Amino acid sequence: MPAQSLLTATLEQGLNRLLALDPDSADRLAKLHGYRLLVFLEPFRRGLALAFSDKVDVLALEHEHSATVARLGSNECCIKTRLDVLGELSQTSQLTRLIQQGALQVDGELQIAQHASNLFQSLDIDWEEQLSRYTGDVVAHQTFALAAHAKESLLGVLDRINAGVGNALVEEKTLAAHRLAVMHFSDEVDRLRDDVERLDARFSQLQKQLKNT
Amino acid sequence: MSDNPVVSDNSPQANHQADQTHFGFRQVEKSKKASMVAGVFDSVAAKYDLMNDLMSMGIHRLWKRYTIDCSGVRAGHKVLDLAGGTGDLAAKFSRLVGPTGSVTLADINHSMLTVGRNKLRDMGLISNLDYVQADAEALPFPDNSFDLVTMAFGLRNVTEKQNALNSIFRVLKPGGRLLVLEFSKPQSEHLSKLYDMYSFHILPKMGQLVANDAESYQYLAESIRMHPDQETLKGMFETAGFEQCDFHNLTGGIVALHRGFKF
Ligand SMILES: C[S@@+](CC[C@H](N)C(=O)[O-])C[C@H]1O[C@@H](n2cnc3c(N)ncnc32)[C@H](O)[C@@H]1O
Repeated sequence: MPAQSLLTATLEQGLNRLLALDPDSADRLAKLHGYRLLVFLEPFRRGLALAFSDKVDVLALEHEHSATVARLGSNECCIKTRLDVLGELSQTSQLTRLIQQGALQVDGELQIAQHASNLFQSLDIDWEEQLSRYTGDVVAHQTFALAAHAKESLLGVLDRINAGVGNALVEEKTLAAHRLAVMHFSDEVDRLRDDVERLDARFSQLQKQLKNT
Repeated sequence: MSDNPVVSDNSPQANHQADQTHFGFRQVEKSKKASMVAGVFDSVAAKYDLMNDLMSMGIHRLWKRYTIDCSGVRAGHKVLDLAGGTGDLAAKFSRLVGPTGSVTLADINHSMLTVGRNKLRDMGLISNLDYVQADAEALPFPDNSFDLVTMAFGLRNVTEKQNALNSIFRVLKPGGRLLVLEFSKPQSEHLSKLYDMYSFHILPKMGQLVANDAESYQYLAESIRMHPDQETLKGMFETAGFEQCDFHNLTGGIVALHRGFKF
């Protein structure tokens, strides 16, 4: 079934690209050498295997969950969970609850799952460094500094909006905001817009530069 | 019997003379076919990978991936990739069986084997791989040697296919399985017509342009038509002694993956 093969191929390529961006991932991957993590994610019927060597191979599993568990090798760990609780898996404190609720089933060598989760969660990718390969250090640094500033301003504005709404609800203030507050608020919005415009200009400049290389 | 849309009186079963076989659509002496096939692969070896990607628009990678998904391969297994050519399957198997397993890349053609060996060495894969020049019809391995034998796009080039299947059955361990990935018979009329147009008109031209070798690619197109269809090949598996034989059509039956177990 080429569609399924296309999916595993894409996943495999994506995972290996990500790992290649983090120079330290090789050490974490070495701990998993020769092991396999089998994953069943409801509502998908077919499970996937991540087979670890000096890279990660992604295979579609032949058998359904119970048959897979019955054949489990000593170098394998099988996880069954649901798509909707996937986000909670990264919080270790939630695992026991998920297991008790039947939303997570783990069979086989638990350490494999822990190492695998560590492999991806500890990914430390220096995006600025990645960008600098194409654009040179200075441009990359400026772009990231600007992006960081824009993000901060944006968060500031969002905080203010949140706080404003909060106050309005709690203190039942009148809907008409104080004039000074409005002026301050629009100043911040202006600053944000400036930042975004500068960022935008920087990106189109980069794009041109990339096209010329 | 006529499962060949282009030359209908020339199906594999229609070889009346016992010492004759087909080479593409031509009749040749059986004793000559192997060296003629060798000529084809000698001439395409260097550009083989590139042509594969071009001709199948990359889909051959997905067909091969599906084959590996169906292989049940595990750490420690001994795998024979027969007619392994430039080693696409062998590379992945080498990682999957790990240091406790082994992968043997076998091919009748020295040029293909050399391209394969160089490619795998460049990928850093050496420790659990070995290379054997061998004819699928008479495998130079002891009985019960392998957990898995794969043959991707190789069987149709073999002179006596039944001999090859018997020989593979012998070298498989009990519990082992054979996977044959091969061009087959498209399941719909329309696809069949389109595919004929593609392989008899476009494919040889691509061969001419990229590899400067229209003739070899003409042979490939013809040999695909002469290959037994899904049910016939399944029957040949059973004759060799395989059990639980089945096949999966891929891309509308342009390619089929046949599987059989030795118990
Ligand atoms: C189309 S290539 C396939 C290579 C590779 N398995 C792949 O899928 O890319 C066919 C291969 O079969 C080999 N071959 C042909 N006749 C053979 C035989 N009798 N025994 C072993 N290999 C044979 C050829 O040398 C060639 O390398």
